[in-house]
Amino acid sequence: MSLYLTGSFSDKETAAQAIKQLKASGYGPDELAVFSDEPVEFKRGVLDRRSHMSFVVVSGAVAFFLMVVGFVYYTQHDYPLVTGGMPIFSFWPTGVVFYEITMLGAVLTTTGWFIWESGLLRRDKSVPVPSIKPEVICLRVRCTAEQFGAATDLLEKAGAQNVAKLEKAA
Amino acid sequence: MLPPTIPFQQVRGDLWRPLAGFSKRYSLILALLSAVALWGLIAWGYQIRVGIGVAGIRRPVFWGFYLVDFVFWIGISHAGTLISAILRLTDADWRKPVTRAAEAITTFALMIGGLFPLIHLGRVWLFYWLFPYPNSRLLWPNFRSPLMWDVTAISTYLTGSLIFLYLPMIPDVAQLAEHAKGWRLRLYKLMALGWTGSDREWHALERAMKLMAGIILAVAVSVHSVVAWDFAMAIAPMWHSTIFAPYFVVGAIFSGLAGLIVALNIIRKTMHLEAYLTPHHFGNLAKLLLLMSLLWLYFTFAEHLTVWYGNEPKEMNVFGARVRGRFSPEFWGMVIVNFVIPFILLGIRKLRSITTATIASVGILIGMWLERYLIIIPTLSLPRLAAASGRYSPSWVEISITVATFAAMAALYMVFSKLFPIVSVWEFEPHEEEQE
Repeated sequence: MSLYLTGSFSDKETAAQAIKQLKASGYGPDELAVFSDEPVEFKRGVLDRRSHMSFVVVSGAVAFFLMVVGFVYYTQHDYPLVTGGMPIFSFWPTGVVFYEITMLGAVLTTTGWFIWESGLLRRDKSVPVPSIKPEVICLRVRCTAEQFGAATDLLEKAGAQNVAKLEKAA
Repeated sequence: MLPPTIPFQQVRGDLWRPLAGFSKRYSLILALLSAVALWGLIAWGYQIRVGIGVAGIRRPVFWGFYLVDFVFWIGISHAGTLISAILRLTDADWRKPVTRAAEAITTFALMIGGLFPLIHLGRVWLFYWLFPYPNSRLLWPNFRSPLMWDVTAISTYLTGSLIFLYLPMIPDVAQLAEHAKGWRLRLYKLMALGWTGSDREWHALERAMKLMAGIILAVAVSVHSVVAWDFAMAIAPMWHSTIFAPYFVVGAIFSGLAGLIVALNIIRKTMHLEAYLTPHHFGNLAKLLLLMSLLWLYFTFAEHLTVWYGNEPKEMNVFGARVRGRFSPEFWGMVIVNFVIPFILLGIRKLRSITTATIASVGILIGMWLERYLIIIPTLSLPRLAAASGRYSPSWVEISITVATFAAMAALYMVFSKLFPIVSVWEFEPHEEEQE
């Protein structure tokens, strides 16, 4: 069974040092989480989170583009208007619609992927979350019962304050 | 800029204070604005019941105040998204207290602007014919029509703007949820989506905001281009112009900035946020406004010079009516409030202040409304067929609806500022980089 402990840090350098030491002791990024009331940017290599957001957003935009082109092509041919020899399906007058729907695809995919990648709406409610205090960086570590003592020592040596076992809020 | 010495608790206290309670003055102003907005709704109801004939639009002027208002409000909507997105992408630190106020303007202005094509419809109850589905004769909407361009562009922009406003509000509403009670607690909890403040969430939010800023910039430019093409695609005098799209985009940013300065000054005074919205912010916005004023003059000059040099009789009819005929008071008034006054008040450093920036901005808002009026009405009054010329004077219905939209905008903004911090709290906490 997993246990959770937290330590508080007043600055990001000390927190980064603790993360490095925990990683050197075998903890992976999935076992560590930083909580704060504002974004904390560590240097590259400290606690990197892989993101596919750009790729997914471009894919979403392309998918919407193909969908709208297909839809407009279908509707123009489903009831072909008399165009006096002009093409029934023409890119120029429908380009604006293609562009806007492509961008709508990008907007919706960004939103959807943000919710997915951030873990919002799919958070495991059994995992405890530390309460955040202003200007405090909170590091949560997931460990086993055997690792608990060593992890506590490591956090304390790294300069963490209030190192404690994290219980699920009632 | 906020000195980093102001403690976080005070920042939060100052920015959350306006959310608590309703003062008598607030309630009175909101009631008054709501009454004016309601009057506009009654006027619209009257128009729906009796028919579009109660409006002043007559042959050949089929686009009157409603289209002027449509272009004006879509222009105002460029305040938030464009300004916020540009400043976000360039990591301009001074944007922090400005962005949310600007993004809210965008959302509400778009909601109001998007109503006008519906108000303008003779039979508004058939608006759903614009949805892409086959009607009873199996005929689909014509995607080649600029009306469909408008529908897709405004829908995309409104969706994007709402999300662009909402995403950076999530950390703030999550914090508010910890202190709220009753319906506010339910609202904030729902909006927070279970935000915990983890690094995963922050990283995803920052990436999403960077991407959204890029996307929304592209959409914002396209929306006002589409609005410009509504006119430019018609071979009407002084409309069929290749520079209409950038001309409209520049005008939109110009009027949007002016709207933002006015709104920020009112917020600053009424919510006592003098420590957060400082002369530094207004100074930067005033410089941007001056730049846009010069750009607007350049485009206006280029547009009119080309027509004058071409000397095409039908175009010259409209040109003459604008610069020396019956529309000349509006035209020269527009030049004075859009260029001369801002150039003096904002260009001379000694005169530049929060008050003068606000005075210039109010003038620009009037001037930009006049600009839209001058683009639409003279061209329609003087079509290519001289015998079909006509005059336009707005009816009480159009005037009521126009005034009501301004009241509705102010009322929506007041309600928003009572529900959410108008300045982003989490973005405003003193960061280490700022302290160095």
